[in-house]
This record gives sequence, C-alpha cells and structure tokens, in this order.
Amino acid sequence: MRLHAVSKSVTLSVLLGLLTACSGDADPDAPVTRKLVIGAYTTPREAMNEALLPKFKEAWQAKTGEIVEFETSFQASGSQARAIAGGFEADVAWLSLEPDVQTLVDAGLITRDWRATPTKGIVSSSVVVIGVRPGNPKGVADWADLGKPGIEVLTPNVRTSGGAMWNVLGVVGAARRGHVGADTSEAHAEAVLASVLKNVRVMDKGARDSMISFEKGIGDAIISYENELVVAALAGQKLDTVIPKSTVVIENPAAVVDVYAERHGVTDLADAFVAFLTEPAQQATLAKYGLRPVVDGVPVANFPPLGDTFTAADLGGWGSLKTTVFDDGALYDRALTSAQGQAQ
Amino acid sequence: MRASFGVWICALVALPMLAVLARAADGGLSGAWEAITRPAALHALGLSFGLSLLVVGIDLIFGLATAWALVRWDFPGRRLVSALVDLPFAVPTLVAGILLVVMLGPQSTLGGALAGVGIDVIYAWPGMILALCFVTLPFVVRAVEPVLEELDPAEEEAARTLGAGEALIVRQVLLPPLLPALAVGAGQSFARAIGEFGAMAVLSGNVPRETLVGSVYVLGEVEAGDSVEAAAVSVVLLVVSIIAQLVVSRVNQPWGRE
Amino acid sequence: MTPRHRTKPQGFGLVVTAAAILWVVGLVGVPLGALLLAVGAEPAQVVSELVQQGGLDALGRSIVLAVFAVIVGGVTGTLGGIVLARQRFWGRAVLDVAVDLPLAVSPVIVGLAFVILYGRGGWLEPLATALGVKVLFATPGLFLATAFVCLPFFVREVALVLEEVGTSEEDAARTLGASEWQVFVWVTLPQLRGALRVGTLLTVARALGEFGAVLVLGGAIEGRTQTATTFVHTMMEERHDAGAFGMSLILAAMTVLLVQALPTGARTKH
Repeated sequence: MRLHAVSKSVTLSVLLGLLTACSGDADPDAPVTRKLVIGAYTTPREAMNEALLPKFKEAWQAKTGEIVEFETSFQASGSQARAIAGGFEADVAWLSLEPDVQTLVDAGLITRDWRATPTKGIVSSSVVVIGVRPGNPKGVADWADLGKPGIEVLTPNVRTSGGAMWNVLGVVGAARRGHVGADTSEAHAEAVLASVLKNVRVMDKGARDSMISFEKGIGDAIISYENELVVAALAGQKLDTVIPKSTVVIENPAAVVDVYAERHGVTDLADAFVAFLTEPAQQATLAKYGLRPVVDGVPVANFPPLGDTFTAADLGGWGSLKTTVFDDGALYDRALTSAQGQAQ
Repeated sequence: MRASFGVWICALVALPMLAVLARAADGGLSGAWEAITRPAALHALGLSFGLSLLVVGIDLIFGLATAWALVRWDFPGRRLVSALVDLPFAVPTLVAGILLVVMLGPQSTLGGALAGVGIDVIYAWPGMILALCFVTLPFVVRAVEPVLEELDPAEEEAARTLGAGEALIVRQVLLPPLLPALAVGAGQSFARAIGEFGAMAVLSGNVPRETLVGSVYVLGEVEAGDSVEAAAVSVVLLVVSIIAQLVVSRVNQPWGRE
Repeated sequence: MTPRHRTKPQGFGLVVTAAAILWVVGLVGVPLGALLLAVGAEPAQVVSELVQQGGLDALGRSIVLAVFAVIVGGVTGTLGGIVLARQRFWGRAVLDVAVDLPLAVSPVIVGLAFVILYGRGGWLEPLATALGVKVLFATPGLFLATAFVCLPFFVREVALVLEEVGTSEEDAARTLGASEWQVFVWVTLPQLRGALRVGTLLTVARALGEFGAVLVLGGAIEGRTQTATTFVHTMMEERHDAGAFGMSLILAAMTVLLVQALPTGARTKH
C-alpha cells in the first residue's frame, strides 16, 4: 500500500538522517582535534576551501600533531560582521573592508589592536575592475561608459556587501581625482555615480552573488573585485576584464575575534591562522586566485598593470567616507535617488 | 488545567509576534512610521501587495478553469493534471525559484530567446509573478473543487429547461455556492503570496524601488543590522496576511463553531 | 445527488480545458521536468557535489529537524487539539486564531522574531544564557524556528477529527469507570490515528522545506547550521549548480511523496 511504503521510507530516512547527523565517537587514543571557526566575506571561498585550509591543517599538524577542523561561513562582508556581532562565534574574521572589522571592535569582540601587524591587519588586496562579455561587445573602456544608455550594469547592495562599497569608492574616487572628465567636484562624482546606478538592474547581496548573476547572463558589465573575475575565469567562465584608468585599491583585513577565540580556547590557533595568511607562500597561493599580495617577495608578474590607484585613506579614510558617502542621505543615497528619478 | 495549556500555546505563538511588534515600536510610533514610509520600504510593500493581488486575480481565473475542467470534463491527462496541482504545495518555495531559474534563466533556451527579444523574466516582474503563481496554484483549485462536485447538475438542467439564460444560471445557481470557496482560495493565495520569501530570494532582482519585495526587504534590513526597520515593515506584512487568514477562517466555518 | 458524469469538453469548454492544462502543466510539470533533465544531464557531478560539499550533513540535519518537529508538534498538537475541540473556555476564540498564526507569517519574519527574542537585549536572552544554550547561529535556533512553523498542523488535524467523532465513545468509557488517562490512551488516541498520520506528513514536508527562518536564525554555517534548503542556496552561490539542482530534486521528490500519501482533502487545508 502506498501509505505503508511512505511510512517505511520515512522511517528509513529518519534513521539515516540520525546516523548522518550524529558525529562519530571520540577515540581516547586519537590525536587532539581542535576546531577553528572562520567567518569570511564571499570572495575567498575557493582560495580557502581549495588551498589555504588544507595547507594550514597540514602545517599545524606537522608542527603540533593536532588535527584542525574548520567551520566556515562565507557571506557578504557587512552581513558577516553583523552576524559575528550578533552571536555567530567565529574565532577569525576575514572581511572585505576595515569598517566591518570596526563593527566587531565596537561590539567589544576584538580587544587587541588588530592593526598592530607588519601589514596593518591587511591580509589580501585587489582592485575594483569592470568585467564584460568576451570581446567587450559594448565597448566599455572606463567608468563613464557604464553610464551610457543601453548598458546593464551589475553591482551589489551597499547595505550588505563590502564589495559594493569598494565599487562605489572606485567610481567616486576616480571622478574626484579627475579621471572621469576634468571636473573633480563632489557634485560631478555624484552625477557619474548616478548615471552608473541608473543602469543597474540587479543588486545582489554580495560580490559573489553578483558574479553568479553575471555568469548566468544577466547584465553587460559587472563592477567587482579583480580577484572575483580571476576566480570566475578559473572556473571556466568566459569574460574579459577592463581595468579603468583610475581605480581604488581594495584592502581586506583579517583579525582574531578575541572574545570568541578565548572562549573556545583556540587563541593560539587563531593567531597562527591570521599570521599564516600573510606568509609569502600563502600570499603566492592567494595570487593564484587573483588576490594581490600585501607583502614583498611575492611574484606579481601575472597581474595586469594598473593606471592611477588610490586607497580609502587617500580619499579621507573610512571614518569620513562613511559619513560623506555611505550614510543615509549622503552621496550614494542621493545618487541612487536621482538615478531612479531618471530611470522612469 | 487544560485551559491553561491553551493559554500556554497562545503564549508560544504570540511571544515571537509581540517581540516583533515591540521592536518595531522601539523608536516610538513616529520611528515606526518613518521606517514604513521610507521610499524603499513603501515601494517594497506596495510591490508585494500589487504582485499578490495580481497573482490572486490570475489564480482565480485559471484556478476556477482548472477546477471546472477537472470536475466536469474528461480529457486525456486529467489524472496527471490533478496530481500536478498539489505539487506546488509540497515543494519548498526555494526550489520553486530554482525551477524557474533552470527553465527561464538567460542560459536556458527559452530564457535566452525571451531575453533576445528584450523580455526579461528572471530578476524581473514576469519571473516573480510566475513564481508566485506557482506557489499559490493549488489553493483556488482545491477550494473550488469540492463545491463544484457537490453541485447538482440537475439544478442547472432544470434552470435551462425553464428558459434561463447562461448568465442567469451563473448568477443564481452557480455563483452563490462558489463565492465562499473562491474567497477562501483567494485569501489563502494572498496570504501565501504576500509573505513569500524562498522563491523571491532566488529570483527577484532586489533593486530597491523596482524589484524588491517586502519579505526580501526585511531580510536586507536584518542583515544590515536595522532590526527596528525590519520589524516595522514586518508588522505591516503580518497585519495584511493575518487579515487575509481571518477572512479564510471565517468563511471556512471553522470547527470551533457551535 | 446524481453521480458525476464527465463529458468531453466542447466549444468554450475546450478552451477552458486547454487553458487549465497549459496552466498546470506549463507552470508545474515543465519546470519539474526541466529540473529532472538538468540533474539527469550530469548525474556524476551531482552526486560528487552533494557528497563533497556537505550535502549529506545538511540533509541529515533537515531530517533531524523534521523528526523533532513531529515529536514536539505531535505532543503539543494533540493536547492543543483536544483543548480546542473539547474545552469551552474564555479566550478559546483567541486560541483558534493563534494556532493558525504561523501559517500567516512570512518565514523571514519568523527568523526576525527569534533573532529579536534571543539576540542582544532580547527578552529571552538571559534565559538562554542562564541555560547555557546558544540560539542564534546554532542548532537550538533551528529547532525553535522549525517547531514554530509546524505548530498548526497537528492541532488542526486533531481538533478536526475530534469535532467529527464527538464525545460519545469517550463518555461511554467514562460511564464504564475508565479514568481520564485510560480514556485518553484507549479511546481518544486510536481515534486520532489518521489525524496524527496527516499531521506527521504535513509537518515533515514543511520542516524539510523551511528556508527563510533557518537562514536568518542559523546563518547557514557549513557543518553546523546548514540545512538542505540553505545548502541549495549555498551551492548556487558557490557555482555548484549541479549540487543545488541535485538537492532540489531530492527535496522535491521527498516532499511530493509525502504529500501524495495524504488523503485528498487534507492537502491544501494545510
């Protein structure tokens, strides 16, 4: 009888599920296993899963005999920061931009001076670039082209995505430095941003989501991290990269979340992991995934040359940028409003 | 003792809702009002409302047609159609979104062709409407079917032989028993559509004030750490769907009535 | 009532029938077929991604959540249904509405509600901390969310059946000297067999399909709070389309089977 069969299969599935969900028993003679919880932004997914985590596990086991298990979460940087602040007990946070780490400091979760490292807390770097379809059919050469009619642009939502904020800085910074027309005023930068936002059809949660949308055929151009495009190309996706004349240097911070690491008793492990990320060997690995190194002694020949570059500090630092660009009613908000006013 | 258990269940259900209400009022009534009337929030709510109404309209027409065809006529594949009608209720709504992406995404043949002529489906209203139609498909059909089955064709025959025109038959004979069933189906569809999240998370465009619906707006606010704004918009969505649910309950003659 | 005699549709009826077929088959059948094709096109890839990306763990977690929901829902639902059907008390109408409430709430709002309750400054946060239970981004939160959304099913089914069968058997047992407990176990429960079966099937289907609440509350952490549905979501994000489609097909198959096992009337009463 059908119902009988369903009851049987439900029971079987339940048993299977319970078996799968229960972890194995601890063997008293087995080496010590320790768990490291990492909360990261969306982009380093492949680099972590395919290279960094296995390498760290190997190195640590060789050094201490302990086995490291990882629990990882990759989501949009802003969301990840809020999740960690809201109770996600990550031992290490690797986020897209400094303000997101500051969120953790403000929540009292990072008690040390996380910037007191040789690389000032930064572990990876990239630049904001434009991705286009193979052959660049719409002839996109620079930021201004993204504002032309008939081009669909992808960029994520600034409220959740760190990448989106970097993208905005790329456009605005380039304009203010006189590389998008001669006018370097804030009003002009706002107008340029508005013209780009007018062409945005999908605002995904994070840089990775945005990239996936692009790969699925949405949009003509995507503003994203250079390394996001590299990873896409490695995965077999067909796209071309356009490096604008002037763009922002993305600096991604990583820090030990002291409160949680201490609570889990893995502070040493977390410290080691963050330091591990900036070792030349690991930076070289990151370079394979398109992340530009932040230490010397790592070959950068494969990276395309850049034009004018600037950092968040060059634009006044994140503190001032949050107020002038990203707050409610600030530059981004005004640009989005005027973009939607024009769109209809 | 038993009565107190009833109170206990009420508390289990009410507490989370009260928490949302309380958080929405955290900035005072004016704060909540401001959060709701923000352009992006207002548009998201309006879009949810509008799309849901449109989808209910579509459901009423096609649902009635489907129920009619299933009850009154014999056609090849009737059993298959009847089996298919129940599936959207079983399938997780996230999967519903995935289904549409598989079938109509730009990399599919159908989707690519449509995109070629300038029709965007995924990440645009057409796709969202299709997804909502999918998840609400069973309600009108299954609400109307039992009523149609109960209808005695003899009544209609009698009316016809007495010379009544089709319009009169529809109005006097068919509509009265059908209306409550249609109301129930519409109410259930509306309640489901307005709060729909899974499918929307997969295939709505998320562009504020264009393709961002209420439920995804709430998620955005939660992820942005703005729980007050999220709660305020949630209260509006809750009130609307609770009203729709109440309509259904009252019409349905709940088993609680003496 | 004259027995239903179906005729072949003609004229306008033909149009209506064609519309109905197009509607249902086009909206439901074809997409499911497309999913089957997508999975069938690369079965090895699907299996490898499911196994290597933590799909089994996620599916196992969803099943455990479903079992939990059935147990909790079954107990509270049976008791609640009895109260609703048999007791007359002030506020009963309120319970009537309250029980249906989880059906009207968008899943993301359910998640938000629990985040507010158990997050920083929440009303129940001190309680959870005192008990040493982590709710947000941990499995207890998943259990809570799932139990909440599945609450109505058992209650309604049980109450429905009890209304229909009435109290005559129970009263008879009482006059024969049976205690309340004996009445409950030997008279009431057997009457509820069908209702409990329907409640179980509906609860499992709903628990397996829950997405919004577990996403908000759990954070889809691989190996800890990843469920079958959030696994699909994560796979799409990681470009592992095959894994996403595979799990979608598994979920679709399981839930469809469950609902097909229901008696026809029960399906959309949800």
